[in-house]
Amino acid sequence: MSHLTRLTVAAVAFVALAWIPAGLDVGLKFDAALSLVWGFGILSLVLLTGYVGQVSLCQATFAGVGAYAAGMVVNTFHAGYVVGIVVGVVAAFALGLLVGLPALRLRGITLAIVTLGIALVFDKYVFQDHLFDWFTGGSAGWRVDGADLLGLRADSSSHLLAAYEVLLALFILTALLMVNLHQSGAGRRFRAIRDSELAASTMGVSLTRYKLLAFGLSAAIAGLGGSFYPLVAGSVSPQPFWVFTSLQLAAIAVLMGVRYVPAAALGGFFLAFVPDILTRNGHGTFLGRYSYDISYDWFSLALGVLLIVQLIHLPDGVWGDIHARAAKMWSGLRHRTERQVSLA
Amino acid sequence: MLTVRDLYVRFGGVVALDRVSFDLNRGEILGLIGPNGAGKTTLFNCISGVVSPDAGKVFFEGRSLRNVPAHERARRGIARTFQNLQLWNSMTVLENVSVPMDALGGRSTLADALGNPMSIFAERATTERARAILHVLDLKRYANTKAGDLPAGIQRRVEIARALAVRPKLLLLDEPAAGLDAGETRRLAELLHTVRDRFHASMLLVDHDMSLVLRVSDYVYVLDFGKLLARGRPADIRTDPKVIAAYLGEATQDDSKPRAANDSPATGEQAPLLEVSRVSAGYGPLEVIRDVNLTVRPGEIVACIGANGAGKTTALRAISGVIKPRTGQVKFGGRNITGRPPEHIAALGLAHIPEGRGLFPRMSVEDTLLLASDNSPDRVDPRVAYEAFPRLKQRRWQAVGTLSGGEQQMVAIARALLARPKLVMVDEMSQGLAPTIVRQLFEMLVILRRQGIAVLLVEQFVESALEIADRAYVFDRGTVGHEAPAADLLADRKLISGSYLGTAVDEAGGVAVGANGNGHRPDVELMETLALKVPAGVKRAIEERAEHEGRPSGAVALELLEGAKN
Amino acid sequence: MANHARRLDLLLVEVSAFAAYTVIGLSLGAIFALAALGIVLIYRATGVLNFAHGAMGMFSTFVAWQVFYRWEPSWMPGWALTTTAVLAGLAFAVVLGLVLELAVFQWVRTRPPITKAVVTIGVLLALQSAASLIWKNNQYHLPIYIAPQAWTFQVAGVPIGANSIVIVVVAIGLAFGLAAFLQFTRMGRAMRAVSDDPVSASLWAVPVGKVGAVSWMLGSFIAAVAGILITPFINFDTTSLTLIIIDALAAALIGGLVSLPLTVLGGFVLGLLETYPSIWIQSLGFPRLIALLVIVGVLIFRAPRGMPVANR
Repeated sequence: MSHLTRLTVAAVAFVALAWIPAGLDVGLKFDAALSLVWGFGILSLVLLTGYVGQVSLCQATFAGVGAYAAGMVVNTFHAGYVVGIVVGVVAAFALGLLVGLPALRLRGITLAIVTLGIALVFDKYVFQDHLFDWFTGGSAGWRVDGADLLGLRADSSSHLLAAYEVLLALFILTALLMVNLHQSGAGRRFRAIRDSELAASTMGVSLTRYKLLAFGLSAAIAGLGGSFYPLVAGSVSPQPFWVFTSLQLAAIAVLMGVRYVPAAALGGFFLAFVPDILTRNGHGTFLGRYSYDISYDWFSLALGVLLIVQLIHLPDGVWGDIHARAAKMWSGLRHRTERQVSLA
Repeated sequence: MLTVRDLYVRFGGVVALDRVSFDLNRGEILGLIGPNGAGKTTLFNCISGVVSPDAGKVFFEGRSLRNVPAHERARRGIARTFQNLQLWNSMTVLENVSVPMDALGGRSTLADALGNPMSIFAERATTERARAILHVLDLKRYANTKAGDLPAGIQRRVEIARALAVRPKLLLLDEPAAGLDAGETRRLAELLHTVRDRFHASMLLVDHDMSLVLRVSDYVYVLDFGKLLARGRPADIRTDPKVIAAYLGEATQDDSKPRAANDSPATGEQAPLLEVSRVSAGYGPLEVIRDVNLTVRPGEIVACIGANGAGKTTALRAISGVIKPRTGQVKFGGRNITGRPPEHIAALGLAHIPEGRGLFPRMSVEDTLLLASDNSPDRVDPRVAYEAFPRLKQRRWQAVGTLSGGEQQMVAIARALLARPKLVMVDEMSQGLAPTIVRQLFEMLVILRRQGIAVLLVEQFVESALEIADRAYVFDRGTVGHEAPAADLLADRKLISGSYLGTAVDEAGGVAVGANGNGHRPDVELMETLALKVPAGVKRAIEERAEHEGRPSGAVALELLEGAKN
Repeated sequence: MANHARRLDLLLVEVSAFAAYTVIGLSLGAIFALAALGIVLIYRATGVLNFAHGAMGMFSTFVAWQVFYRWEPSWMPGWALTTTAVLAGLAFAVVLGLVLELAVFQWVRTRPPITKAVVTIGVLLALQSAASLIWKNNQYHLPIYIAPQAWTFQVAGVPIGANSIVIVVVAIGLAFGLAAFLQFTRMGRAMRAVSDDPVSASLWAVPVGKVGAVSWMLGSFIAAVAGILITPFINFDTTSLTLIIIDALAAALIGGLVSLPLTVLGGFVLGLLETYPSIWIQSLGFPRLIALLVIVGVLIFRAPRGMPVANR
């Protein structure tokens, strides 16, 4: 696809998706916005793991850093929310570079262990210990009721929908940039590192520079989504950014297909919408006799099982499978039309 | 332009490179040969920056390469290809070739993401240059194919194209002919000369395919056990007795040794124990063996000889189940075992002693033998092994990894015995061992045969192997080139050395790059094949007649064949 | 662990804080050692780094707890109930290990290590949520006392609870038992062979599948032992034991993912390292930081033999 085509697709996607939550109730509006927040998290994994091949189990931590930084800036320095977002992204970027340092020496499982450790440390220590109250706003966390995002007040009745629109625009923009990146020279260098670090370094790609860049950018993307969290939810607490969220992000990314940008959107949708819909509508009676009550844990259970099944059978993820089938159909179609043309 | 002095590399207890020194001049193609494990890949790794030497210096264009990271070396003009192909498989050929170009062009990531005009312009320039390289290497039609989907021969070319994208002054080629058949190898040789002439790149070439190396190189170095063994022009190397000995083992003076075939209980009439038909197999994208056929009858000793990289070890692995055959069939004792897991095959009575002996270094000798008997059908008492190998009894409680090479090999054979096999496959038993020990071990194999156990033997030391074998298969470039009774092969040593070092006929052929017009090009491939398949006497007769008639021997041979057909 | 420290404070009258904390640290370290043993065992024999190890132990422990606290037949004396509960938990653990091998891990034997590890993350999520569904997300204080709680010994003026001693004894005993098993039994030899070199082992007709199953059953068993023993000391919920994986991994890495004795030693050292700072810093999260620093330090400076680490 050329640049222009991509731009068009992006614009169409925005228009198509922007009005969806308009008619829904508050809870679902919240879900819609939240699904984009987590969509950023999965997008960050698509970059880091899908494009560059670096494993990371602490993406929710980056999002959390973005969220807390935004909250802190708005509350402690009484700045506008835009400033909060910028600081959130920068803070996350910096943390990403820091996490990237061990990545220079480690690969695969060992990197997974270290990032899991980082997720745990931030979850139990940085986000919860009183030593960091200046950053986290204490055990109550930050509240952002009065925050002002370009005239959009956080406590206004329409703020969720507006937040959704802004998030959607940013998400599509980021996705667009990522697809551009994928096809560009830098993207090729990233993918070269994924496919064979050995060859990449001997062919002139500086592993240090690109791995650090990948971690930084990835963290920044997750942080961007995270920095919107206080606006959407009204407050920040450690729970959404705990270790298990990072694990679930990784699980959904792999499940959907960690190499594909649309997987991020799909994944975000799953993470936010599906559990909520399930818990709301998921009780009643089955066959008139057995009552059932689907809670969030059912979702998590299904996620775990699906991940196992998918890794055994479909290594490229759901989207990857769709993509491959579509590609096969497309080339089959093309051959057939070519033959018809040549016969004609 | 490249100066290597006293390079020393050690991995654990093994010295991979032992004070190696050599020079490479601008515009030269330098060949590096040597038996397996001689240290060639380690040398490449040192030069390209993947491994830091423990001692020694490397100078490129007068500047030291110490502490220079790999990507910086690429910037200075050193590029390489890899023995086991390190292509970026998910990317297209065009993308593969573009990466080094823009990596060295230093483009900004942000600019790329935003798709700004400067970036798009640079992108187009890169694409043009990449296509140009593809054109020279005749890869244009694969430009948009994913590298992982291509056959091995094309992939090798892509690797070379990618290396050329670095605009190298020095090109390191690590086994570029691995997995290629004779025809592809010939094309590769032409390609390398084209590369030298068009791209003005000097080359350092490592390969097991002797005919390629000796044909293409201007000068050759020979490595053995990490040390420089010999050097000189290709023709001299081919006939150097030291080199031949390193590959084939010492020519034994001992004619009084009884030919083991005399006391062989094997009869030609028995049903074959092992039947391998049309098997092909490989690793990842490489197909290492194709169309391999061999049989082993009960009580026989069969040898597999041939140059490194010819596929002998891969063939054994495909038989014992370590790798799955891609086509063809393997039958053992009448049962089809193609693709079964190795533990099933082993349980059926097929013992495989792999290269490196397949032992567990931290286990004691006693435990090793116990493990062997645990998993054997009869649960034979391991003490039986101590009777056969009394020396092991003294070392009972020692960890296997601390034993000497010869003793380790004894343990390996002992455990094979305890498994009560019908067929034992031994891969490179003599590797790293002194000649006296090797002789003892070979006698051990004869004892096995006396007990009715068949042996399939892969050996670099051809002489010793042929002395005890009944028959031999000569592997050449991934398939079985030739099969003959061992005695015949022993009689004409030149036949064997030909398959290792290339035949003298190559001289007449030379490398006629784009030979057009003057004179005929003798069919080098045909002569090589004839050299192996035709009895020595017949070959001499053809050559005499050719000389008499003033024609190339190839033409005479062809004529005779045509005549025989009618 | 600050909780435990505080409870101990109530029992203390005049005692050197250091000695008391040493005892706590060693008990904690014993738990880490036990958990790490299971991880190293499974990793060596199957090539899988089991992120779900803590979750497996947690689940089996809940089963034991279920028997202990929810099933109270009046006719059974206390010690018999304890025994039954523990046995139930351990039996469940063994079955869980077998099920995991048959349903999950035998299908991914040939995959790269990172894929296998991500599979264990799936197992972790599944077990975690299943436990939440069954036992809800409450915090339980559900001690299963192996030795009566009241028993304490005075050693050098420091009161040591019997259960602490039990933990340390079991950890060391299990380490020795495991070592003996690996050294002297047929299956032990087979496991050592497979962990050294699975390809060569298969050439020796070692039944690789059976070895895998036994490894998982044994690993799960050890995880359950660790879980049951830790119940008197912590407030138990579905997440806390799952997260012990980080400390267990740190201990396992100290042992290089290869050496069982070093792993046990590593566990004890880590337990002490995590407990001593509580003398000065009252923080629930700080010990986690120590564990992480140990992990990073070991990986950067002493790449474990069992694992490809550096960029080669």
